[in-house]
Amino acid sequence: MTDTNDAPAMVEAFAHPAGKAATAVPGGAIGWRGVLLHIHIAPSASYEMEELAEGLCVAGRGIVGDRYHAGSGTYSKKPDVREVTLIEQEALDALMRNDPPLQDGVLRLRPGDHRRNLTVRGVPLNHLVGRRFRIGEVILRGGRLNFPCKYLEELLGMPVYLPLYNRSGLNCGIERGGVIRPGDVIELAE
Amino acid sequence: MTARMIMKLRVDTARRVTPRVLHLSLVHPSRPELPAWTPGAHVDLRLPDGRIRQYSLCGDPAERGRYDIAVKREDDGRGGSAWIHGNLRAGDIVHVSAPRNNFPLAENATRHVMVAGGIGVTPFLAMARHLAASGADFTLHCCARSELEAPLLGELRALCGGRLVPWLSAEGRRFDPAVLGRSEPGTHLYACGPQGLLDTVRAHAAGAGWADDRVHVEVFRPTPDLSFKPEPFEARLASTGEVLHVPADRSLLAVLRERGIAMPSSCETGVCGSCVCGYRDGIVIHRDAFIPVRDRQDRLAPCVSRARVSVTLDL
Repeated sequence: MTDTNDAPAMVEAFAHPAGKAATAVPGGAIGWRGVLLHIHIAPSASYEMEELAEGLCVAGRGIVGDRYHAGSGTYSKKPDVREVTLIEQEALDALMRNDPPLQDGVLRLRPGDHRRNLTVRGVPLNHLVGRRFRIGEVILRGGRLNFPCKYLEELLGMPVYLPLYNRSGLNCGIERGGVIRPGDVIELAE
Repeated sequence: MTARMIMKLRVDTARRVTPRVLHLSLVHPSRPELPAWTPGAHVDLRLPDGRIRQYSLCGDPAERGRYDIAVKREDDGRGGSAWIHGNLRAGDIVHVSAPRNNFPLAENATRHVMVAGGIGVTPFLAMARHLAASGADFTLHCCARSELEAPLLGELRALCGGRLVPWLSAEGRRFDPAVLGRSEPGTHLYACGPQGLLDTVRAHAAGAGWADDRVHVEVFRPTPDLSFKPEPFEARLASTGEVLHVPADRSLLAVLRERGIAMPSSCETGVCGSCVCGYRDGIVIHRDAFIPVRDRQDRLAPCVSRARVSVTLDL
């Protein structure tokens, strides 16, 4: 696929322009407590995602076995944060209700079809750029909002671009590594 | 062209249907349904050493749980089919892309005339099944050396009945393109098989008044063009104005990748259409077998096609 021979330019989450700017701005939801529902990895760019019963997160790298941990993912030209990507189950639920009604009908994404690593519930991802939060023993840093891509539309053959706009999840760096499992509690680390 | 998902599928059955043809039925280890496809579609098999080979799906599109392909061992080929024959067994895992269709049935056709040569019969199995089920008017000419070497002939007979016309050269019946007749409104002509057969069909069609858009040819091999001598050229990116130099010994695709411009690709021999992109001005030397003539004024395949002096890409 789109593997390049050049080493992908990755930056630490709070060194990314979006994450860096957000650390200086107070605010965001507090007092929430979410849960990790699914862990998915893809062995290489374009490969179907595979579900894991537990994932080993390596600080500064990614989830062992995933394309971004291995350096074989799809990369943009600009330096980026992609060690771990998250998406809200609530956003997927909305797609399944066709809310907002942008499509002819509902969009049913099976687990992993969205190609994000972690599916979470009760976690306000759009509030977490520039924030540190905990999944079990692991600490993540929100680096930038994820952005839906045409590539995903093509892979799925589904028009997910517009309905995922502004709720496509969060790209994170791993501050403290460790093992995560579905059911792990997610909360702010501050 | 679009990116396609790659799946790790399991070989459910592997059976030899002729001395040189292996029929593989592929299933997903955990999902009951695979991505949907239409007759004429193919999948890419990604071999462990990175080689990618295209195979037409020859099963039933309504059977959503499996992909059937038939692979002929080409001993003088590039080695992909020999590897498949030598290594794949029931239970093995093979990396397979989601299907793509570069060879679809013409929806508006009132009659379909198909010419298959040897293993080129595979897409027509799926097409004939669909056409027979929908009561469409069709004829399938099937060319092979002998009954024994004609892949899946029994299955074709069952599907097509009298609409199958076998041409077995060992029995003294060589395919005669004159049977294709003159072009008639609503009739579409399809061919898949060895280069010689495709050339014969094309030459007949051109002489008998068939319009280009009613003649469909499936090519899994780039047109051999040994006399082509690549020249260096400049490629300008429309978005940034940046100019990239493409030396004579490198492809435009390779130069774009080196610059960090991620392009999907698959066969990299001008056949699959994965890497096709738009261009604006410049004289392009098209060397692919994918882009229809009508689209060549603004689309090119950077894996094999080049430009005279310079070209501006819609990138």
